[in-house]
Amino acid sequence: MASQSSIPGASALRASTLRRSVAFRGVGRSILLTLPIALWALLMFTPAFQKAGRDEHIGALAVIVFMTGLFFLMMRTGETYRWRRIFFVALGFLFPFGFIASLIAERGTMSIPVSRMVSGDTPFCFMVTPSIILPAAFARTIIFPGSILPTASNPHSIAVMIGLWFALTLVLGTAWCSYACFFGGIEEGFAAFSKRRRLHRFVAKYSHILRLIPWAILVFVVLLSAAIFEPVYCMWLCPFKAVTEFPAVRNVETAIQMGIFVALFLGLVVVLPYLTKKRTQCGFFCPFGAFQSLFNKINLFEIRFDRTKCVDCTLCQTSCPTVALSKDSIHEGKTLLNCMKCGACVDVCKKDAAVWHLKGTLVAVKPERARLLFLYGAWAMATMFGGSILANSVATMIHWLPGK
Amino acid sequence: MRARILSILAYTGAGFTLLIAACVPFVLMGVFSNVVAHAGLHIDASYSGGTIARTIQRGGYRIVVYQPVRPRMLERTGPFVQIVFEPADALPARVSDEIDLDGDGRLDVRVSFSVPADANAKMHGDVTALNGSYVSLSNVSDESFSRMVVRAGNKIVVRVPVNKAVAGQ
Repeated sequence: MASQSSIPGASALRASTLRRSVAFRGVGRSILLTLPIALWALLMFTPAFQKAGRDEHIGALAVIVFMTGLFFLMMRTGETYRWRRIFFVALGFLFPFGFIASLIAERGTMSIPVSRMVSGDTPFCFMVTPSIILPAAFARTIIFPGSILPTASNPHSIAVMIGLWFALTLVLGTAWCSYACFFGGIEEGFAAFSKRRRLHRFVAKYSHILRLIPWAILVFVVLLSAAIFEPVYCMWLCPFKAVTEFPAVRNVETAIQMGIFVALFLGLVVVLPYLTKKRTQCGFFCPFGAFQSLFNKINLFEIRFDRTKCVDCTLCQTSCPTVALSKDSIHEGKTLLNCMKCGACVDVCKKDAAVWHLKGTLVAVKPERARLLFLYGAWAMATMFGGSILANSVATMIHWLPGK
Repeated sequence: MRARILSILAYTGAGFTLLIAACVPFVLMGVFSNVVAHAGLHIDASYSGGTIARTIQRGGYRIVVYQPVRPRMLERTGPFVQIVFEPADALPARVSDEIDLDGDGRLDVRVSFSVPADANAKMHGDVTALNGSYVSLSNVSDESFSRMVVRAGNKIVVRVPVNKAVAGQ
């Protein structure tokens, strides 16, 4: 077995990726397979075309072409990770742009004043979901300063956002973290900017501990939130507050909160992903990711390893952005529970041992069919949810163009 | 045979997943949202202010007095009563009202604040406790969830801390 240190990092991964760049399918067949997604995208963005604004039309059209084009490339090349990553990074970087622009236009600041909290105008974020479960179950109380039903000033109400999250989760399972979470794209972007994979020995040595941290944070956050009736993660630990909205700094406590948000964002979302080429916030910190991975059990799609083909080169383990593979799990032919189905391991495997799999079928029998079935659902959800965010952000960018 | 049955079930399940995906934007999102909306949940009183106790009409505006909010054991927000002055655009430039909060016929607090012409301007106000049940506040703005004078849309929200000794009784 090749040791971790013998793997020349990114160059080996790139060489393996190049191998797959040869056309996997003919153009005609790829177009045919892309047609359902193209029609779905048109269906999803028809309402945008009924709006008056030209910027919205351009945004919607750009996203239809973008999402359909990427799906075509997935079909044509047989690769998943590379094309999904382009969408996901675009989502990660454009979501804060569109969101911050809307905040600035509406209230002139990224901070949430107390007045908006007491009037229930805080948009609900799915990351809070684990924190609110126990108080909701035992006290019928939602510990979040939003509104249950949508209002004119807060369309992103708790009922709407939980309904959306749950519906998407039924289709995606933990793939939510790779196809829908607009936060994960930011760190995947910073990981992609880096040429060299640093700290890989440290990550490999301590990965068994590192991947337990999100579970520890999840338990801590859920119990403490239930005890003090506050969304603890949201108020103290969310790195993405730094690029979305945060409680207005009005005293020492809120200043400390802001400091923590910025430090966590810089450390876990910018610096560590750049150094390690891993999604460090997702893999080593995010309690919502841990919570979401519980839904992998009810999802039919997974990645498996054909042990008859595997040569234990550990390229898959090195390439996994969230450390969801261990030597033991590969020996068992499985990924760990926190696998986000990004497809990096499948794309990088030189022996085609890592395969998409539909639970209940034989491993490595018709893996491309399993991939297709998974991708249709996942890409449809990505187009609906992420696509609408992208379209909105593109429209905002056009609106803000100089001279407009 | 078992493998074949499992395989058929698996593909049926995969087809069902695609059907769910197709239904998400048109049916399922709405269904799940309705389930949450009708689950009998409410926003924690430290954010929402709790339930309305009564409304006092004052000329062109009204004062809505809420039930006292008593925090749970480890909750950090102290006990308070929320008072809402609405609509804000019908309020005089300077408001000074004496209010009976608990409905016992005795006046409990005097709330005074100026209504800025700019709806986004930061507000400040004073609360004078007229008996020992409440805590006076001087030049308060948005210090915490239990002590504030803020404008929220077309309302002025005032939160008066309840004396902890009294709240505990």
